[in-house]
Amino acid sequence: MEKTRREFVKLVGGAALGAGVMLAGRDKARAQAKPPKGVPAEPVKIGAMPGLSGVIGVPGTAAWRATQIWADEVNATGGILGRKVELYMEEETTAKECVERFKKLTLEKKVDMITGLMSTGNGLAVGPLAEELGQLWLSWDGTTQKGVEETMPKTKFAFRSIDNEAEAIGGAILTAKFFPKIKTIAGINNDYSYGRDCWDAFQAVLKHFNPNVKAVEALWPKLGETDFTSHIAALKKAKPDLIMTSFWSGDVPILMKQAAAVGLFKTIKGCFTTGGGAHYTLKKDFTPEGLILGYNSLYFKWTDTWPLLTRFVKTYHDKYKEYPVYECDHAYSCLQAYKAAIEKCYALLGRWPTKEEIGKALSGIQIPSLSGYRGYREDNIQICNFFMGITTHKNPYDFVTIDPVEVLTPSQIIKPTAGTKLYEWIKGWKS
Amino acid sequence: MRTWKEITSLKNVKILVLVVIGLFLLVLPLFASQFVNYLMLTFFAYAITVVGFNLLFGYTGLLSFGHALFMAVGAYTAAFLTSKFTILYMEVILVVAVIISSILAALIGAICVRYIKIYFAMLTLAFGMLFYTFLLKFYYLTGGDEGMRVLRPYLLGFNLSEIPKMQYLTRSYYIYTLVILAILTFVMWKIVSSPFGLCLKAIRDNPEKAEYLGVSVKRYRWYAFIISGAYAAIGGALLAPAIGQVDPGLTYWTHSGTLVFMTLLGGFENFFGPLIGGIVYIFLQDKVMSLTTYWRFIFGAILAFLVIVAPGGIAGVISSLVKKEKRDE
Amino acid sequence: METIVSILLSGVFNASTLFLVAAGLQVVFGVQKVFNLACGSFYALGAYFGIVVVKSFVAGGFPKPLFIAPLIGAGLLLGFIGPIVERGLIKFVYDRDETFQLLLTFALVMMIEDVIKFIWGTSPQTTGGIDLIYGRFNLFGATVPVYNLIVILCSLIIAALIGYILLNTKFGRIIRATADKKEMGEALGINMKMVYIKVFTLGTVLGTLGGALVIPATAVVSEMGIELIVLAFAVVVIGGLGSMKGAFIGALIVGVLKSIAIFTYPELEMLTIYIIVIAVLVIKPQGLFGGGRVS
Repeated sequence: MEKTRREFVKLVGGAALGAGVMLAGRDKARAQAKPPKGVPAEPVKIGAMPGLSGVIGVPGTAAWRATQIWADEVNATGGILGRKVELYMEEETTAKECVERFKKLTLEKKVDMITGLMSTGNGLAVGPLAEELGQLWLSWDGTTQKGVEETMPKTKFAFRSIDNEAEAIGGAILTAKFFPKIKTIAGINNDYSYGRDCWDAFQAVLKHFNPNVKAVEALWPKLGETDFTSHIAALKKAKPDLIMTSFWSGDVPILMKQAAAVGLFKTIKGCFTTGGGAHYTLKKDFTPEGLILGYNSLYFKWTDTWPLLTRFVKTYHDKYKEYPVYECDHAYSCLQAYKAAIEKCYALLGRWPTKEEIGKALSGIQIPSLSGYRGYREDNIQICNFFMGITTHKNPYDFVTIDPVEVLTPSQIIKPTAGTKLYEWIKGWKS
Repeated sequence: MRTWKEITSLKNVKILVLVVIGLFLLVLPLFASQFVNYLMLTFFAYAITVVGFNLLFGYTGLLSFGHALFMAVGAYTAAFLTSKFTILYMEVILVVAVIISSILAALIGAICVRYIKIYFAMLTLAFGMLFYTFLLKFYYLTGGDEGMRVLRPYLLGFNLSEIPKMQYLTRSYYIYTLVILAILTFVMWKIVSSPFGLCLKAIRDNPEKAEYLGVSVKRYRWYAFIISGAYAAIGGALLAPAIGQVDPGLTYWTHSGTLVFMTLLGGFENFFGPLIGGIVYIFLQDKVMSLTTYWRFIFGAILAFLVIVAPGGIAGVISSLVKKEKRDE
Repeated sequence: METIVSILLSGVFNASTLFLVAAGLQVVFGVQKVFNLACGSFYALGAYFGIVVVKSFVAGGFPKPLFIAPLIGAGLLLGFIGPIVERGLIKFVYDRDETFQLLLTFALVMMIEDVIKFIWGTSPQTTGGIDLIYGRFNLFGATVPVYNLIVILCSLIIAALIGYILLNTKFGRIIRATADKKEMGEALGINMKMVYIKVFTLGTVLGTLGGALVIPATAVVSEMGIELIVLAFAVVVIGGLGSMKGAFIGALIVGVLKSIAIFTYPELEMLTIYIIVIAVLVIKPQGLFGGGRVS
């Protein structure tokens, strides 16, 4: 009798204790669900401006998907300092409309930050606007020499993407490495600033390693061209040792297909500096091995030991049946940087920071993203690694991948500050 | 002693309505949001353009599918003068824009007005796209696809660069543009009411008869072309500082299509139709683009509806309702 | 010699695809006087649909070299949208000013563009390397894929067929006689409504078939319809609005000239087309074979 009573008390006591612990734990969890001190409760509003149609639709859609995946991931773990993330999307179309949409997001929707934009012209229009309105803008793409050198030497709110020519420079470095004996090159690039800048940068870098290399042909199809049979015939006639192209969208598979139809790359080497932008369309049946292929800042298979990448690729593929491209990491890293900058400020200030404070924290920041560590320099230009390699068919997919994978670091391919003149920097290389 | 009927005559009512609207627009910046004011600003620039466009389309019967060319001319003039030559006086920019566009319109028009209907539309489209290619190709001059910056101009000689940009736009620049719109609309009213305007209508309705009656059809079309080109250039020059950057997309044929859409939406048979169309289009586009990425489909459907069911546009619908009212009286 | 052959072959290949789209444009304009800006959109639809059909064909395990049969079938089948568009939209504006008809087809272009985006998204798509099955052909040192020759051959056959229909069949005679003279046709007891439907369908089929045929040799991108309008328009201007012969010759001229420009002055590639168009419109606005009032 005594024993059972004691046992009963123990039992009830234990249950009460357990319940008490449970209740206390629930209160603690609820307390944790409240945002920390100094942080508003409303969601963080992030504006995104992807291009969803036309040539920029290919990377733009990818970047928008990455933005949404990031937002879902962050919200699943409680948001930024407990604040949920809300996305407001406005499409990137023409410069006039981008300016309007940017103003709308800032003035009407009152978003805390705007990320996006890939077209150079739109970036040049929006950059000064971001500074005037005091709105944080983290750009995905489209930074040319003009935008970097001339217009905005030191910004507080506009954070530009990586220099556009980086992949051309990387392509030239690898060309010198893998194809050191070539004597003549030909270029087929889109007839606009990016195409021209890439061709110029590629030649300048290649000549640094191989001063006797000559360009025997340069073709300039317009952006959006869908038929290259004449161009390919002209390239064949010029008989270069290597063909370089900076195509990055739907024109990559078209060029590759039509080249395969006449066996162009059987005898001529190729360097597709930015072809990785449409890598999953480069099917094995018309893409040969042995070409240099650049994936810009994200190669979806660069390693198996980086959990951020593995998780992202799986989520992306499961949802969209495609593999991510570099624009995904441009978008993802901007958001990672934003979040990290806020957390950094909070640790110092004990409250949610202002846009200007976030801007200061973003300068020089380094964060983990899909492609490893990336960040912003002190002059608010992004830097990151680039992935390029030689195409191979040895993989389980129906499209080509690269092996070996060369990782090109910022010090190799991105000029050190915004103020440096690109071609003087290249001339000054020691090796 | 005027009768009550005379006082409430349609003409006086119309004038009163216009004055009320004008005053409303003038005080709008005081209570509307900054973004709405900005949209109104773009509306003023487009309004000037489509009022000029309708002289060609509604009153002379010529559909130009390349009219955005002249808007681009005005916009690039503003960009050139402010960023390359640091000439910041808005009045100078406007005058130069008019001169350049008039010369271009005279040349292009001389070729185009010899043809009618589809051929005219196609020829103007070709010229518009030729200008687009020119802007893209000659990037040393025009900045190519990157475009050119437009710096903040002085208004009436006042250097307002101390004022923050948004305030400049939604106060000083707003009023400036509104006043120009009012003046140009009044001028256009005078043009279409004049004998010249009547000749244009005659040419639109029956060119052979007009020719027979001694009206030089080609010459008058040419004049209409030049005037509407000048209006578009002014519109473009006023739009450019608001955006801050000009790019070749301003003359792409789909931008010309937008001008046609606005005019048709508001009603090309009515003097104020294009103005109605402009404002409805701008605000509609803003709403729809935020709602869905398939806004092209919606706009295409609206255009199809307009063409098939309501070619008179909004003004046409209103005026047929008014006529019905009058008939029922 | 090799260069000349290369220029000609690539130019003619270009021309074949242009001809099919332009022919669709011409036949509809010639009869109904409707300038169908959506011809490029039909072409794009044919291309996308062609990819779907070929992929299913290959996945179904059928012999690959026969892929061209379902491809052509896809192009022809998709023509069914012709009567739908004609009865659903175009018929309402026959009595209107030409410019309104133009605007209606412009609206159609916008709508189809988003329909394509909705169904197939923005990523470029291809039929893989299936066209390489037929191998390559060597002519005077110039290599050309056999598939491209097949496309050229198909275009020639279609051109010949159209010519035959126009000249030797009752339908063709009706088309030529009643072009732009609806009342006269009706007065003669001809069912003009059926004629219009048939003609528009023919125009549509030419577009969708063109898209389907070409797609194995290239890739499809979402804005290809809009880009193509400008080129098709150049072809019909040069050849003359409403003339089938004009579409043929005009396509050849545009295709070959573009090819020559690429070989000799690549920088001028974009400008040449527009300058030629304007030159033709100024010198002989009816084009080479067109008729009708222009001013």
